[in-house]
Amino acid sequence: MSDMSWKDLRDLDCAAIQSGGYAWAGYVDRMVEQSERLRTDVIAGHLSIENYESDTATQVREHIDLFTGRFEDDLSDYAQTRVRTALLEASEALKAEQDELLELVGLIEERAYEIEGDKHDYEVNPSGELHRSIYLHLDPPQWLCDRVGIDKPSAWYDLVGEAEVMSRLGDFYELAKELGAQYQDRLRAIMSRAHDADDEAAAALTAMREAPPELPPQLGATYDDLIDDYKAELSEEVAAEMEAIFNGESDLSPEQVNQWWEGLSDAEREALIAEHPEWVGPTDGIPVDVRDTANRTVLDDQITGLDQEIADIEQQMDAINADYEAGRPNDSPVSYSELQERLEELRQDRDQLADLDSRIQEPHPDTGQEYFLLGFGTEGEGQAIVSVGNPDTADNVNVYVPGTGADLGGAGYDNGGLMNRIDSMAYDAMRFGKGEETATVLWLDYDAPDGVVGEARDTALAEAAADDLGSFTDGLRATAEGEPSNLTMTGHSYGSTTVGIAARDEGLDVDNMVFIGSPGVGVDSAEALGIDPDNVWASRNPDDVIEYGMVHGEDPTGEEFGGNTFTSEATREGEHPFPGGGNVLLGAAGGAVAAVDGAVANHSAYWDDGNISRENMAFIATGQEGEVE
Amino acid sequence: MEEQPPATDYTQAEAYEPMEQGVADLVEALPDFPGFERRSWNELPCSHGGLDDSDYTSIEIRYTFSEAVSATTQVREDYLDELRTYWSELGLDIHRDDASGTGKYHSIEARREDGINFYYSVGYQVGLMIQSGCVPRSDVSELTYIPPSGGIVPGSEQDTVAHDSHYFPEGVPTDQAAAIDPFATAQPVSGPVPFDPPASYEGHL
Repeated sequence: MSDMSWKDLRDLDCAAIQSGGYAWAGYVDRMVEQSERLRTDVIAGHLSIENYESDTATQVREHIDLFTGRFEDDLSDYAQTRVRTALLEASEALKAEQDELLELVGLIEERAYEIEGDKHDYEVNPSGELHRSIYLHLDPPQWLCDRVGIDKPSAWYDLVGEAEVMSRLGDFYELAKELGAQYQDRLRAIMSRAHDADDEAAAALTAMREAPPELPPQLGATYDDLIDDYKAELSEEVAAEMEAIFNGESDLSPEQVNQWWEGLSDAEREALIAEHPEWVGPTDGIPVDVRDTANRTVLDDQITGLDQEIADIEQQMDAINADYEAGRPNDSPVSYSELQERLEELRQDRDQLADLDSRIQEPHPDTGQEYFLLGFGTEGEGQAIVSVGNPDTADNVNVYVPGTGADLGGAGYDNGGLMNRIDSMAYDAMRFGKGEETATVLWLDYDAPDGVVGEARDTALAEAAADDLGSFTDGLRATAEGEPSNLTMTGHSYGSTTVGIAARDEGLDVDNMVFIGSPGVGVDSAEALGIDPDNVWASRNPDDVIEYGMVHGEDPTGEEFGGNTFTSEATREGEHPFPGGGNVLLGAAGGAVAAVDGAVANHSAYWDDGNISRENMAFIATGQEGEVE
Repeated sequence: MEEQPPATDYTQAEAYEPMEQGVADLVEALPDFPGFERRSWNELPCSHGGLDDSDYTSIEIRYTFSEAVSATTQVREDYLDELRTYWSELGLDIHRDDASGTGKYHSIEARREDGINFYYSVGYQVGLMIQSGCVPRSDVSELTYIPPSGGIVPGSEQDTVAHDSHYFPEGVPTDQAAAIDPFATAQPVSGPVPFDPPASYEGHL
């Protein structure tokens, strides 16, 4: 785990790391020139068929060609993909955090705060100087007087001004502490992302030392054996690399995975898709159309496998029934009720997968865009990553992270809230998209809370999702073709907490963040999210009960948070639960939830027919912020 | 406080016919109608207790003009005035009539007494959405194919409902999907009308 302090980051020479990356890139280029000479000067020159024509000569040429290819593969895998990219990614990420740190430290020092505590849990507190200016001299700095809302005493003899300071000492204390908490929040987020970048670079470089390149395969007894064995081993090696990437054992970032993938031959890629679609489909950094092909294959296989399993169990149950009716003893090792229970589980999985399969067969009825399956699973409540339109080629990409209650069942037709939402978002983006293409992605690759109480009040599920969401976002950036897309991350309810915590802990390489009906996003200010606060948007309709469940930090629609807001309507019938305001916590008791049912309904109203929030979300996702109301 | 999604006049299966009839009537009322490019049937979730309730659904029928038609003043401006007049004359509640931040886009919505909402949206592409609100979900086998309006040929590629295997896995009835004249509801462009001049203008001026 990275041991970098804020001072280490402040003083870090990022340019030196970047230079190292470029130096390795130059080395790769020069070495590739040499291997190319081997092909042109030796294979096609001195040892060409014009000079040496025999079976042995042909095999020698093929051997040198394979050897050269191997050298280039190792150059690509190690010097290019690992060393160069690790250094450049680290320098870029650390420079971004360093810039933000310098800005923040400037503010902290200017306002007489000080940074204390452990490097993984910094605190930012008012300094003794600031304390003395308030409590001893009754002469707080101008910026603090402005926050409290009184005039700064004009001189040491301004007794009236000092008396006013004295009467508001409590406010001075609270507001000074509040600002310190915001600085602390932002500092911790910066350092968390810097530690991640440091750890990732260290892991990539360490992996090289611990897993050096395999030596060329053993020679066979003859050239025939040699070449056949070599080809077979190369194929197995590529498959082993893919498996290590899939299992997370390779420590390659999505960008490095993409470089590795692009370095494979067409035949190697096709072989992986055909033989190991279960590894190719879920892997961030592999192009979207390839993942879609692989995932659809796996989905078909799983549905077929479940059908077979269901048929087997039904057969066992029929046999038990037949024995029972005939009065024969039954020797089945599994009871009828256990089989029944298993059958119901399998049928549910089968129906949900078939429903998902059905949803992605035909193009979107309004936009004509194809669906792309980027991931799915039935483990736990189930997972689904589906895109309307191809994010690799789209001008805009909008990733929707759902919240409480989201599961695979919700991705199909009968409980189709989630897929219907991205369908609507895709339609809205087309209506307002200036003729550009917008890909709209459902990202349900985490275990969302089951209900609005219990798990939803804990950040553990969001924290567990942060790494995967960060990786998915980096994968979209790595596989994008042409100019980078305008990438928006939209989180609803607990999904907004998941997005905010991923931004805080991992850093999300997005252009905009949109928080809808949020219970808090894990940070207290937009500045701690790692993007320009001008590109942070939040909305809550006036009857959304989540107002009373702000349990994961500062309200992102509040002025203190420092982002933008847009209008949403409460389109569902129901009264405001506590018209005079109040402080009733959502999870205080089950009865309280039932009592505010109308307002709870409005927590999900943001995609309703005609809700202005739909248009506003489309304006942000299509880069038309000026239209937002 | 409600314990269930709000009561409606229709079930899902019953709602499509009055919704589609509403479109047909509206198209009839709009002069020189240029024809829609596409129709689709969609559903949005209804929730209860903060979670989506699969016993209810909210229908959204979408009719969209082509990009070329969407660029015309007729559908971007003139039809807004026509709809204000048409819905006012019908006594509908026009509950929204506003422009986006810079005035580039416009939305107008009117709701009928039976709860059906009409939403005319002037975006980059102009469209009409007809929305049911929350209605009790029906089994797909109960749904009846309703031919489209506004120049879309039933069963054509532009009538995406007819090709949606979820709603109509066996396809739509061929007699209902028969081709119709896409301009059957269109009206002639207005222009100078000849008239018989009086023998003298004395007393007419």
